[in-house]
Amino acid sequence: MQFRLLLYIALTLTTACGLPRDTEGTLDRVRGGTLRVGFVVDTPWVTATGVGAGGVEGAIAAELARGLGARIAWIHASETPLLQKLHDGELDLVIAGLTKDSPWAARASLTRPYYVDTTTVHGERTEVPHVVAVPPGENAWQVYVERVLESRKRELAAMRYAVAR
Amino acid sequence: MSVGRAYAFPPEKWEARKKLRKLSWLSIGSLLLAAVVIGLTVGQSQAMKTAWLSDILTAVPPLALLISLRYELREPSERFPEGYARAISVAFLVTACVLTMIGLYLLYDSTMKLVHREHPPIGTIVLFGHQLWLGWVMIAALTFSAAIGFTLGKLKTPVAKQLHSKALQAEADMNRAEWLSEGAAIVGIVLVAFGLWWGDAAAAAFISIEIVRDGWKNIRQVIGDMMDESPTKLGERKLEPLPYRLRAEVRQLPWVKDAAVRLREHGHTVTGEVFVVPRRDGLSAEQLLQETERTAERLQRADWRLHGLMVVPVRALEETSPPRVAQREESRDAAD
Repeated sequence: MQFRLLLYIALTLTTACGLPRDTEGTLDRVRGGTLRVGFVVDTPWVTATGVGAGGVEGAIAAELARGLGARIAWIHASETPLLQKLHDGELDLVIAGLTKDSPWAARASLTRPYYVDTTTVHGERTEVPHVVAVPPGENAWQVYVERVLESRKRELAAMRYAVAR
Repeated sequence: MSVGRAYAFPPEKWEARKKLRKLSWLSIGSLLLAAVVIGLTVGQSQAMKTAWLSDILTAVPPLALLISLRYELREPSERFPEGYARAISVAFLVTACVLTMIGLYLLYDSTMKLVHREHPPIGTIVLFGHQLWLGWVMIAALTFSAAIGFTLGKLKTPVAKQLHSKALQAEADMNRAEWLSEGAAIVGIVLVAFGLWWGDAAAAAFISIEIVRDGWKNIRQVIGDMMDESPTKLGERKLEPLPYRLRAEVRQLPWVKDAAVRLREHGHTVTGEVFVVPRRDGLSAEQLLQETERTAERLQRADWRLHGLMVVPVRALEETSPPRVAQREESRDAAD
């Protein structure tokens, strides 16, 4: 009972006061503005579509932009410079088929997994949780991204095989 | 003289000692529980990792104290002719070191975070179908752990006073340091919620200085114990007046011409030597023995902690006793 109460207090705080807030105000800037997305092609998670990225994570970026009425600025590069730019606040999102155990966890903030893939390595079934990366400390932005990921979980899981085919 | 026997606690102190044992078990149990709760919510927050580590570390001193309590009352043996009372000092040493380590680690960690301008990322967690910001959950876990530390500290202080147990007092200090640092972590997470990335590290750095100071104070006391320092007041650097009290009492005895006292702490007990210059008007060997034994028994009643006190008849004081004890006494008398 009391636990429920605490839960509602936390929910109220979150919605009423707009907490948590971003350190650099990413969410407010992206809303109605530009979402800067860095991508590395990694089929089926990220595919190249000519102008930008497609695939499961390309769809995530599109969905995030749509929800905030933002346009996307795509930047195509390799993982290292992209994540460095993300850390320095020059990007808002990096999609690169990243997994939760990525060594980048210390520099960028990896989100909750939106999909847990199962692969067979050396005859052993292992779980591979897939994530996207946001700048560290942009907690309002991260909460928004994770909410979208959570609400679109089923569609994203379905896409994983649709894209593979 | 009871030099060859283990110390026996007076009944009311025996009760306090039982309480001390119960508190130690309670500490270990509750701190491990807090560590589990925090462990479930750690996520990527460095502050939470520190809180988790300090929960694990603060469970070590009560464990050391429990082990030393098992040894404390053993009879002196061939290998340890002085008995095992100082096992308690070993527990005190462990506690003082753990306290200092927590402080230094926290200071290093938070300073580095400030230097590197690390922005702490805190995401969400799904609890009972609600997607919550993990920060709120962390605050709840930290509050739980801090409440445990606060309660343990409050319970330990009166027992430490009763038993004059430096080891337990140091533990109480450590529990205080723990709940303070967790309080700081809560403030830090709230500041992070408002978008102030430095809040977490700055609060932690501020508190860690306090913890290091507590740790250093305790380490200095442990070193004093190892150096056979004269008994000190609990949690203070001030010397106890006990040696002067004993000396005054001995000098009133009719067979005593002059006396000097040298005391040191032995875990929960206090031991030492009383050097006595007898009046030499026809005291036979038998009488001298009798007086010596009777005086030792009588002096031991002056304070419950006294154990294995030696009364040593000497020809003159300069040769065998710490002269400063006598001199300081004289200067004190002059000052009064």
